[in-house]
Amino acid sequence: MADPLNLTRRSLIERMLLVAGVTATGGFSLPALAESAAGNRHLDAQRFTVLSAVADTIVPKTDTVGALEADVPTKFDAMLKDWASAQTRSQVAAALTEIDTLASRANGKSFALLDAKTRHDLLAPHDAASLKVLPADTKGGVATLMGFPNYTNPGYGRIKELVVMLYYLSEPALTQELTYEHTPGEWKPSIPVTPETRPAAGSMY
Amino acid sequence: MFDAIVIGSGMSGGMAAKELCERGLKTLVIERGRKLEHGASYTDWMQPWDLPNAGLIPQDELKQDYPIQSKCYAVNSATKHYWVKDSEHPYTTPEDKSFAWIRGYHLGGRSLMWGRQSYRLSPMDFEANAKDGYGTDWPIRYEELAPWYDQVEKFIGVAGSKEGLAQLPDGEFLPPFALNDGELLLKQAVEETFPGRKVIPGRVANLSKAQPHHEELGRTSCQNRSLCERGCSYGAYHSSLSSSLPAAERTGNLTIVTDAIVHSIAHDPTTGKATGVRVIDANTKEGRTYEAKVIFGCASTIGTAQILLNSRSEAFPNGLANSSDMVGRNLIDHLYGLSVAGILLKGPNTYYHGRRPTGVYIPRFRNVTEPGEFLRGYGFQGSATRVGWRSAALAMPGIGAELKQRVRKLGPWMIVVSGFGEMLPNPENRVTLNAGDTDQWGIPTVHISCTHGENDRKMAKQIIADGKAMVEAAGGMVMAAAEEPGEPGLGIHEMGTARMGKDPKASVLNKYNQAHDVPNLFITDGSAMASSGCQNPSLTYMALSARAAHHAVEFLKEGKV
Repeated sequence: MADPLNLTRRSLIERMLLVAGVTATGGFSLPALAESAAGNRHLDAQRFTVLSAVADTIVPKTDTVGALEADVPTKFDAMLKDWASAQTRSQVAAALTEIDTLASRANGKSFALLDAKTRHDLLAPHDAASLKVLPADTKGGVATLMGFPNYTNPGYGRIKELVVMLYYLSEPALTQELTYEHTPGEWKPSIPVTPETRPAAGSMY
Repeated sequence: MFDAIVIGSGMSGGMAAKELCERGLKTLVIERGRKLEHGASYTDWMQPWDLPNAGLIPQDELKQDYPIQSKCYAVNSATKHYWVKDSEHPYTTPEDKSFAWIRGYHLGGRSLMWGRQSYRLSPMDFEANAKDGYGTDWPIRYEELAPWYDQVEKFIGVAGSKEGLAQLPDGEFLPPFALNDGELLLKQAVEETFPGRKVIPGRVANLSKAQPHHEELGRTSCQNRSLCERGCSYGAYHSSLSSSLPAAERTGNLTIVTDAIVHSIAHDPTTGKATGVRVIDANTKEGRTYEAKVIFGCASTIGTAQILLNSRSEAFPNGLANSSDMVGRNLIDHLYGLSVAGILLKGPNTYYHGRRPTGVYIPRFRNVTEPGEFLRGYGFQGSATRVGWRSAALAMPGIGAELKQRVRKLGPWMIVVSGFGEMLPNPENRVTLNAGDTDQWGIPTVHISCTHGENDRKMAKQIIADGKAMVEAAGGMVMAAAEEPGEPGLGIHEMGTARMGKDPKASVLNKYNQAHDVPNLFITDGSAMASSGCQNPSLTYMALSARAAHHAVEFLKEGKV
């Protein structure tokens, strides 16, 4: 379900949340890549390898698991098979090729063969440029608010959205990064915030 | 022959069946959709990581089968089985007047997927048509329905606070779901800045504290999961499956048939009464007829209009009970989707625990305590919550450890308020049948022509202005606003197509929800509404259903029907 207010809330949250900044410390290996690229997948081996590297760069392993440990590339590939339209598949494939081409031009190597810091430094500006939101062609009604944001680079937008969603809906992320109780039981309208407080998943926004 | 037939098993049909069965009538409920089982048919057990395709319905399937249903916020891969396939249930609209008919065809109907917000209409709502001349005067006043509101609220369980407001009468409430600190801030700011406006806990048909009569039906207290639209195995919100149909069933008087699509209602011109209901088997497509002494139409506003219009005879060439030509006319939906969202720059440094199944409600104030440059008014539903992972991760660029770090931090408070406005009755907003265009069961499809009027557009503009002002009064920075109302239908509060009224020439039903033209036909779904108020209407449908059932049984005993 699309977040109905995602589109125009961006700029404020950017201002509110641009306080964090931690150096990326990815944990990603070629053997793992080769293994994950095997099998009957929608994406060909090359693109799956790039996808795995992109997912690992967007959500790396830190003090908690990253996208690879949460099996995001495999789930992503399954969604391309089971969920995506031909247009989305095509956009995603093109966006993966685009990232790999950027890597080749800048570093002479496939994106997947770069070290974690180089991948991050390459993908971060691409992420910022790709996720600029173009003006909507309607007057801001419900359909616009509920729709997929009108990203400059819709293929990359899909990749980012799916990687993030699949990670933060995974059991490791919901139990390590965030908190999730399927059956909270009691409603407590006010509890103190402590340094250990983590956002609870499960709400719409 | 049954004593009574109830067409439809949703919000109204479930309550009508319960009341009729409890009064001793052998009652048949006819449901056009498939059978669902309380608990076994639900998907509330699914953990987030169990959701098929991360909660998303395949894009091609969505486009092919759910182009209209997918406009509803609650449609996802865990709830897909509750929504009709638009591809299988076609209808038409004028090209320039889209209408979103949001439906669920299964036992329990939309009572499984409803938003559960439960508010009484007020005395001023029942007087509005008479006062300003739009629509026809209601044949009842608030005081006549109040005891039935009491009864229904007690039975279904409504959590809420007593506020003493003329425009939103109090009821028989369970303890409210308390406001969180962000909402208390909003309440204080709005009530201080705009005297007369109130921010109160949303009144919701979830059991904040189950009572013994709820537990007798296997219902337990709400677990604050907010998974309601998947069905609740705890029975913590009222639905036909969890509540009214089990109550009907324990009387021993209930019979249910599913997969039976009502084609029309049979009428005997010699007695002037309806004699039975013709159905088409959804699977075999064979026809059969059920007979009864009284018939309750609870097939939903558009469905009931379709059935009546298709029940033509020599006596009623324009459709059963339609001597007034009002069947299908005056289709109303609430103005919907007029939302404002803002971030609190200085919100309280607290959090909350649990996913409460409601939020805040701001009762109508325009043309109550403050003037409006339009007729009638609107209320707001809303909430204050701390921005969650999805927005934190995706609302701005950023990757890597920095992204994880910012998602891990508690987000700022976000206030959302959404206006629900009253549409004026307009006889040109109507449902008709497409002559010669039938569905796969041989039933004429409907044509829905409905659009917002000048008063509605003025109201929409003021809703957004008021919403922004209240968010800003709380110290919020407005970040998003849906300036245009959603197309009619998206409120999922369609009403009015067989309205109650005093004048048989201008209305379909009398003060007992009894058809003026057909004494043993009662209609108690949204089609009976002579006006909509701005309150979520299901509670009123149920109160009307219970009241009409009472009178129908009395009339049967007295030999009047």
